Amino acid sequence: MTNNPYLPFASEILDVIKHTEKEYTFRMAFKGDVKPGQFFEVSIPKYGEAPISVSGIGDGSVDLTIRKVGRVTNEVFERYKGQSLLLRGPYGNGFDVDLYRNGEVVVVAGGTGVSPVRGVIQALSQMPDAMDKYVIAGFKSPSDMLFRDDLKEWEKKLKLTLTVDGAPEGYTGNIGLVTKFIEGLPLKNPAEAKAVVVGPPPMMKFTIIELKKKGFKDSNITVSHERKMCCGLGKCGHCRVNDTYICLDGPVFNYEFAKNFVD
Amino acid sequence: MGKLDINVGKLKKNAFRYSKVRGETASRIRIPGGVIDSKSMGKVIEIAEKYGTGVINITNRQGIEIPGIKLSDMEKVNADVQEIIDSLRINQPEKGKGYPSSGTRNVIACPGARLCPFGCYDTTAFAQKMENNIYPNDRHVKIAFTGCSNDCAKVRMADFGIIGMTEPQYNKDRCVACKACINFCKRRSVGALELVNGKVVRDTDKCIGCGVCVAYCPTRAWTRSREHYFRLVIMGRTGKKNPRLAEDFIKWADEESILKMVKNTYAYIEEYIDPNAVEHKEHIGYIVDRTGFEEFKKWLFEGVNLGPKAEVNQRVYWGGRHYDKYGG
Amino acid sequence: MGYVLSRDTFASLISDLSQNYRIFAPVRKKGAGRFTDVDVVMYDNVSNAEAIELEAKSDYSSKEFITPLSETLFYFTENEVKESDIDNRPILVFGRSCDIHSLKRLDQIYLDNGLAKDPFYKRRRDLVKYVLIGCSHSFENCFCVSMESNKCDDGYVFSVDLADGNVYSDVPDPAFDSYFAKYSKDKRDVVPKYVTENEVKVSVTDSVPHSIISHTLWDEYTTRCINCGRCNYVCPTCTCYTMQDVFYTDNGKVGERRRVGASCMVDGYTDVAGGGQYRRKNGERMRFKVLHKISDFKKRFGYQMCVGCGRCDDICPEYISFSNIINKVSQASKEAE
Repeated sequence: MTNNPYLPFASEILDVIKHTEKEYTFRMAFKGDVKPGQFFEVSIPKYGEAPISVSGIGDGSVDLTIRKVGRVTNEVFERYKGQSLLLRGPYGNGFDVDLYRNGEVVVVAGGTGVSPVRGVIQALSQMPDAMDKYVIAGFKSPSDMLFRDDLKEWEKKLKLTLTVDGAPEGYTGNIGLVTKFIEGLPLKNPAEAKAVVVGPPPMMKFTIIELKKKGFKDSNITVSHERKMCCGLGKCGHCRVNDTYICLDGPVFNYEFAKNFVD
Repeated sequence: MGKLDINVGKLKKNAFRYSKVRGETASRIRIPGGVIDSKSMGKVIEIAEKYGTGVINITNRQGIEIPGIKLSDMEKVNADVQEIIDSLRINQPEKGKGYPSSGTRNVIACPGARLCPFGCYDTTAFAQKMENNIYPNDRHVKIAFTGCSNDCAKVRMADFGIIGMTEPQYNKDRCVACKACINFCKRRSVGALELVNGKVVRDTDKCIGCGVCVAYCPTRAWTRSREHYFRLVIMGRTGKKNPRLAEDFIKWADEESILKMVKNTYAYIEEYIDPNAVEHKEHIGYIVDRTGFEEFKKWLFEGVNLGPKAEVNQRVYWGGRHYDKYGG
Repeated sequence: MGYVLSRDTFASLISDLSQNYRIFAPVRKKGAGRFTDVDVVMYDNVSNAEAIELEAKSDYSSKEFITPLSETLFYFTENEVKESDIDNRPILVFGRSCDIHSLKRLDQIYLDNGLAKDPFYKRRRDLVKYVLIGCSHSFENCFCVSMESNKCDDGYVFSVDLADGNVYSDVPDPAFDSYFAKYSKDKRDVVPKYVTENEVKVSVTDSVPHSIISHTLWDEYTTRCINCGRCNYVCPTCTCYTMQDVFYTDNGKVGERRRVGASCMVDGYTDVAGGGQYRRKNGERMRFKVLHKISDFKKRFGYQMCVGCGRCDDICPEYISFSNIINKVSQASKEAE
């Protein structure tokens, strides 16, 4: 079969970065167009194919942050540097970073939801008005934090609020859900400000409620959805919501449209 | 009432009860497999109203007992019962004389595959076939049929308990790994299934052939075997000395062999029954306890060709409390 | 043009055709049903006419050749991914009007949804020609007339109708004319039988309001439905599948990739890595399935997904009637207006 879209290609693992006990970023060789928010179907040995968001884009590489689940062992995760993984993609629409070039922007990301917006945040941090860009990143606990080096960099360039749901005694950082920090954002014009929200469904739901309270318009909010996806091609059906295929039409949506999604 | 001169032994063999009410008896209707046609049931009602007290007892072994019949009416009742005997195709050497024996008890069966979703075979048909095979006989033998391992017929209380089995057939090409069979085997049965590399693997040692996997499979990846199989459990009993549950004897047995083995048992009883047994009645299990299981098997297997799938327990150990040895 | 054949010459025709075509047809499987001594009618390869069940509606649909319940797509080794092979001989699939109408729905997803055609679907689809089994009467639970799939004007190479001991065939595909001409002298116009009325009727509303999603009508299915997925597996228009990787070796580098039929009613359908799950309640799953069949598919593609074959109602072990739900939705939609 020529041009079989299911046929994966081998991609060399250029680097493996361990964030937590469970989450690793694989820097994979990849040449081609790719945008933050898009995803690859990654064949994870001993597990199977899984849709993984692009968490970084380099020259000739993409970063894929993979959470270890089920029967995937540490050994598989750590041994792979210099070897290869099978990929296909990129799939989905991804974020249009140009939308956030001028004016105030708030990115709210929870847990692994930071992966798909990492590229967006990196772009924001390079923009001339970076000081009008706000990022609220939340993790379960200090040991669950992803992209620690990035967080340090971002802290210098834009307005980062880093928070954890809970922490051991003696932790000096913010403790609390991301939603707690929206009300106090010192925005000049919330009605025109843009927001990006990515994370687990309850976190997205309550974040959007807070943003709307703050004065955000639905049409200025962008969300990215995570669903089970076996193909990325609009065939397997798992990701469908109403008449929308998240893999084809998303995973990034304007909230004005996505607010009608009912699973 | 005239002078009564009744041979109680004959009365009992003729399937009438020796009643505590002097001058009265009860007529016992055999219903092999527990299925009776409505016309015969009508006849039962008629007899109960004509000779009895308008009361009908449903017995523990799926028979009917019409109480309150005068001993002097037995002949008339026997004439009336003929229609039921004919309709239920009960073996009988002489018409109009009622039931020729009562020692071998009514052969019972759960509703089985005629009605029950879990029934692995037509229990009623097999019970009727068995009845035909061994009745009339004065020896005290209890046989019970149940459709699956749920054992709703409580066959483990009988001398011979026949439990339906199916050998699940797996078509991996139809399996979508929905895990319904695995979950239900675990919850409703013995947990003999497991998912290996996306397909289901059956632990054949653990599997009891209950067919739960087949009933719950949504794609027909699991189907029943063409052959019906049986688990034969033996020598269960109630009673005063040593009540006990029947134990597994043969797994994956076939119908023909079971019919033959039960038939063979009667010759064994004739040979070894205690000649002084009260009322010439002795549970087979006690005879087996006396002769040893090996001797019993020798008689049982005479002329029997078990199928290739049959697994025989060469040694069987029964439990139950021995009240005769250790008291209550 | 059409032909009349005796049952015997029809048998000869089928055995002749089986020299050049594989034949995939409904077959009565003795005792292979859910319960003891209960038959099931489902699809299988046949080589003679006697094996084909032309009278009863099949319990499972004809989609099983084009979208098998389980199919290996790739074999992978450490350095190589190899596509699986299939038997490339052409195949005749016997199906009723509903089955032929369902093909358009399968094509819609596998060939036309998204940018890429599904090559594993296409390689099977390209081998298939349909034989229409006429319907002289409606079966229990059929509501094809309401769904406008009761009649086939095209999409089949020849038709088969049993009547007065003979076989009546319309043969629109000239490539099959010679087969028929060989076995029948009785050449005449034949119109495949189709039903014009079903006992079960549904009225599908054109616009299902958004409020239906939260309507209480779904609640009873949370307890009534046992989420077994039979309705999906028998549905001629359900296309969902799940990818399954199988590993022959401990390191997970050698194995095969399969896809297996998926059901939106069955646990695991929405599971995402890390334990996330959508639609936990069976009532929500029912709503998701029903609205796809009679509303969401149409919003995207312009026509109804459901073909009204009623197989879901036939097979439901809990006596849930899909057609009844359609009518409930229509009623509730009317009330919402």
